[in-house]
Amino acid sequence: MKRMICISLLLMFLTGCYDKVELEQQSYNVAIGVDQTDKEGTYEFTFQITNPEVGTTSGGGSDEEPNETVTTNGSDILTAMNTVNSFVSKRMTLDHTKVIVISEELARSGDFLQIIQAASRTTQIRRATQIVVSKESAAEFLNNIKPKMETRTHKYFQYMITRATQTGIIPDASVHRFFQITEGDADLFLAIYATNEHEEKKGEGYEDQYVAGEIPQEGGSDTQFMGSAVFKEGKMIDTLDGQDTRIAHVLDYTLDMDELLSTYPDPIRPEYRVAADYIQKTPAEVEIQYNKNKPTKIDVTVSFQIEVLAIPSLVNYSQNSAHQELLRKAIITDLESKANKLIKKTQEEYGSDPFYWSLFIRDQFIDVPAYEEADWNKKIYPNADITVSFNLKRLAFGKMLNDTNLSEVRD
Amino acid sequence: MKDYKTLTTREMFALVTLLVGIKFADTTPALLAQKGQNAFWMIPIISFLIIFPSFLLLIYLLKRYKDKNLVELLEKVLGRFFGKSLGFLLFILAYATLIFDSRNYVEQIKLLYYPQSPTLIISIVFMAVIFFCAKRGFEVIGFTSWIGLPLIKFAVFLLAALIFKEAVWNRIFPIFGSGVQVIVMEGVKNSSIFLEFFLLTIAYTAFKDTKFFRRGSYFGGLFVIFEIILFFLLYTVIFDYNSIDKIAFPFHEITQYINFGDYFTNIETFFMVFWLFAGFMRFIILLYLITWIFGAVFNINEFEPLLFPFAFLALMIGVIPENAIVNELIIRDLLLDISTPLFVLFPFILWIVALCKGELKKT
Amino acid sequence: MFHFFKKAKKANTQSKPQKNNDPIRSSLKHNTEHIKQLFSYGTNKDFSYRDLIAKYNQKEMSLFYYSSIVNGDKIYEAIIRPLLEAEGNELKNVVTVESLTEIKDFDEVIEHINSGKAILFQEGTAIAFSIDVAQFQFRSIGKAENESAIKGPQEAFTESLNVNISLVRKRVHDKQLITESKQVGKRSKSEVNFLYVSDLVNDDILNNLKKRLDEINTDSVRNVELLEQYIEERPYSIFPSIHYTERPDKAASYLEDGYIIILMDNSAACLVVPVTFWSFFHAQEDRYLRFLYGNFTRAIRLFAFYLTTMISATYVGITNFHSEMLPPDLLLAITASRERVPFPLIFEVLIMEVAFELIREAGIRIPNPLGPTIGIVGALILGQAAVEANIISPIIVIVAAVSGLTSFAIADVSINFTVRITRFIFIAAAGTYGMFGLAGAFLVWFMYAASLKSFGVPFFSPLAPYFKSPGDTVFRKAIKNEIWRPGNLLPKDLRKKRDSTSK
Repeated sequence: MKRMICISLLLMFLTGCYDKVELEQQSYNVAIGVDQTDKEGTYEFTFQITNPEVGTTSGGGSDEEPNETVTTNGSDILTAMNTVNSFVSKRMTLDHTKVIVISEELARSGDFLQIIQAASRTTQIRRATQIVVSKESAAEFLNNIKPKMETRTHKYFQYMITRATQTGIIPDASVHRFFQITEGDADLFLAIYATNEHEEKKGEGYEDQYVAGEIPQEGGSDTQFMGSAVFKEGKMIDTLDGQDTRIAHVLDYTLDMDELLSTYPDPIRPEYRVAADYIQKTPAEVEIQYNKNKPTKIDVTVSFQIEVLAIPSLVNYSQNSAHQELLRKAIITDLESKANKLIKKTQEEYGSDPFYWSLFIRDQFIDVPAYEEADWNKKIYPNADITVSFNLKRLAFGKMLNDTNLSEVRD
Repeated sequence: MKDYKTLTTREMFALVTLLVGIKFADTTPALLAQKGQNAFWMIPIISFLIIFPSFLLLIYLLKRYKDKNLVELLEKVLGRFFGKSLGFLLFILAYATLIFDSRNYVEQIKLLYYPQSPTLIISIVFMAVIFFCAKRGFEVIGFTSWIGLPLIKFAVFLLAALIFKEAVWNRIFPIFGSGVQVIVMEGVKNSSIFLEFFLLTIAYTAFKDTKFFRRGSYFGGLFVIFEIILFFLLYTVIFDYNSIDKIAFPFHEITQYINFGDYFTNIETFFMVFWLFAGFMRFIILLYLITWIFGAVFNINEFEPLLFPFAFLALMIGVIPENAIVNELIIRDLLLDISTPLFVLFPFILWIVALCKGELKKT
Repeated sequence: MFHFFKKAKKANTQSKPQKNNDPIRSSLKHNTEHIKQLFSYGTNKDFSYRDLIAKYNQKEMSLFYYSSIVNGDKIYEAIIRPLLEAEGNELKNVVTVESLTEIKDFDEVIEHINSGKAILFQEGTAIAFSIDVAQFQFRSIGKAENESAIKGPQEAFTESLNVNISLVRKRVHDKQLITESKQVGKRSKSEVNFLYVSDLVNDDILNNLKKRLDEINTDSVRNVELLEQYIEERPYSIFPSIHYTERPDKAASYLEDGYIIILMDNSAACLVVPVTFWSFFHAQEDRYLRFLYGNFTRAIRLFAFYLTTMISATYVGITNFHSEMLPPDLLLAITASRERVPFPLIFEVLIMEVAFELIREAGIRIPNPLGPTIGIVGALILGQAAVEANIISPIIVIVAAVSGLTSFAIADVSINFTVRITRFIFIAAAGTYGMFGLAGAFLVWFMYAASLKSFGVPFFSPLAPYFKSPGDTVFRKAIKNEIWRPGNLLPKDLRKKRDSTSK
């Protein structure tokens, strides 16, 4: 007995250490970029590796770069990781990868699905990793990310994406969601759209009617996260601007959004707009009535509240009930028209919806074969008869009763 | 002090829960989801309904024949030769389960956490731990289960709570997945996922009072089925029907997905520790019970020295299959299909024989 | 493993010191000569004797004693003076002492003289009189230094059996409290006293204890610390199976729950049997503090238990095998601090842990006046200097300090060693296979503990196996709600709370 214990203990000591890696022998990758190359089946992979010594007090390395961005060619992420080791000294781990960046070019080519599937075979890439589509090449995008405040890029990605998702201007685009929607073969997947290249939009846009790169900006980091890239069956087909992304948030009950500050047309003085906080406590209610041979009826009801933040026109909406009624109508009409516009676009151009509505029709089928036969993407959604109604539950005016009358002040 | 039996309902509950309840965290869901798609969570209900009457019947017989364990009961009812043969058959099937399931666990550990290590080494460590623990005896296994159970279940329900916000409940529709027929067939065929219930009856007389055994197994059974269904449902609503059959280890996939706030993003190792405890406990119990059955069949009273050869043999056979997929989808599936009719039917055979012999008349 | 013990026992050959079973004769001269020879009178400086002629019967008498262990005043006041001056018809009416025993042979004479009695021989009488005049020197009752408490009695046992018994009796006013004694040791005989409440104690345990005391076959057992090692079941086990405490109030509360306590001269502590894991885990103060406060301490101590055994091992396991689990910022901080360290991480941890053990050991052995230096030197060298020399990374200092400091929360000496040894086992396990190795090692360790029995009582009872008990395991109930005694001891009277109406 005693001898056996000794032997097994010895064995344990002899055998261990197979997977043992010292921390400093690893390098930690925070972002992966994927680009297309001229050759089919070969892609350009960019890895952004953090430098652990930057941002610590342990001295040394203070004049080193906060991260190292390297690019190489390969057929998939894992083998590329090995190739990278010819010029990166340490073993690379992807466990802390926050984002996967793909260039718009690659996304539109449809090869992305293969790449990401190969990656999901390893345990290293987490399902919560976010998918970002960059307007320029991913290598360029990652190389040009220069956060002004955060020393380490993983923090930058984390804060940036969390915050932007809260405001609804970019969607939650985790790898998990990508697989659910793409493999589910219904609905559209929205990925985060971002860029470093600025190209100001002509004409006027309101606060969220931009996609990344179009937002007028001065100072700060060049990188903009705004809007979303639409994926159908793993292939990018279009971009949505911030506003449409927000509408998608409103209509999709699987997406959460904390804050939606937006402006609405002022019904009395149309040259101004009313700023308001849109609050949605309950997810949109979707009712689908499936008809096999005629268009399916989809009724969507959104209950929401509005808290008015600013009325630049100084019209007295808070105390005048007739005015208030006008404002109510104006907000509802505005939202409905935006939503209808988006829905129409998705029905006609995309042939599927980015709202995950296919979930609501499933309970009308008894089993999977029947459901797949009905074909949401091809048959049901494009022909569906959709009505969206917004239901304003409460209109509040914040803590001020009324605005100061400008003419009185200036008198 | 004199030796006295100390195991009560709570230990039995813990044993059942650990022995059967961990099924949701291995490859069983992947196996069932291959055919059941998003309705695979119903399969255990059907299996349970199929197997539970048999189990109740067995318990009834045990109760009638007072103070006999499984093998003794078999011998008493079927006679020495047939009783022992059936006992041996049960042993073989159970041992096969042990072998392939343990390989399965080793494979999970290797694939998910120790990709560089050879399977053999992990198997050795795994089996060594199981052997040393099983050596401590059934009572100690019982105590440990009871003390460990709250911790393990805490981790499990924490996981359920964390993943809950990711669930999209509409994904359980279409309600019957790949079709009612498929679900029922699979449920019947895979009833033997609950075969451990039968193995536990070898320990029928090891409890302070046999009523503790019965009570513990009822409560444990209900809890287990609840737990399994809860988790299968969670897998369904998180992965949806198209992905669920591609994922070999849904439990680990979930632990990798969740995060605990923004700062603790990769917390799968935390759950892995508790999963390991549960896995160890399961195989400790299994190994002990199987050796016990063997000892009972061959009239070996001091069967504990046999633990070592059995553990060793299981280790050696376990490493033979080439990869996890073969092991899981072919061998284990086959094994479940073979053992189902035996386990479902043998209590009925016993009952009929006992009835014919007239031993069940009121005395 | 414990068959080693059995073997060792058998090997112990029967070499008893020579017997002096000579009876006492009536000739005083013979007796005197014999006893002088036995005790090497003349060489043995403190062996004294006095001849006198008693006034009451005019007979010659001799008095023998060790002057170093008797009370000289008492001998004079109670024996010599009455014998020289008082009238009377019998010896027992003359001497004014509280105990006077008649003894018959020299074997007894030796024993009595050794235990501080004066022996009086009388011309023409074939018996000797033993008069208790013992006065062994011992420390006065002090504060409990090793098991200190803020709230609660401060008295500790001291190195005197009688005082210790008095300290216990002071607390347990129960006529059923029995002090039984047994002699152990073949050459130097010492008295072992075991106390129990006779209508509570489980006789199986009591008989088991007596049997083990009888089985002791050695020349001398000086104190309970040594006795502990003679009566324990598993001398090679990493877990203690007997509880050792210096607090009489703790001893009293054990007595009232049906435990047995063992006292000896020369030990400022008692042994408690049987024992469960909880006796090591609890401090007496937990019960003196109010329900919530007491349980808060328990929670802290449980956490300390976890930290001290696990934190270093967890750190090794996670950083070496599961680096993905660390939050990125922490991961990068640790990595950065390790960039210039020349050793593998497990080596770093071991350096610090061993260093901590060294400081600790040195701190105990160091002469008192030098005490304060050790802290400064230790902290300075191990902390700052080692980090600055890039021998270890700063985070290791934190880990080792936490694991070392938390070990002080576990007051019991024995279990403290268990925990410290366990820590190294776990570090090794985690270093070989990360959390998988650690989980396996922990399970084996835990199941080993669960399989232990102390005098037939399972180590983790009454939690598992379950027994009716005061519910005082990890946490405790409000004192008013404690109805049962610990049922795992199978006491004769299980119910603690008499009044069944109050609820």
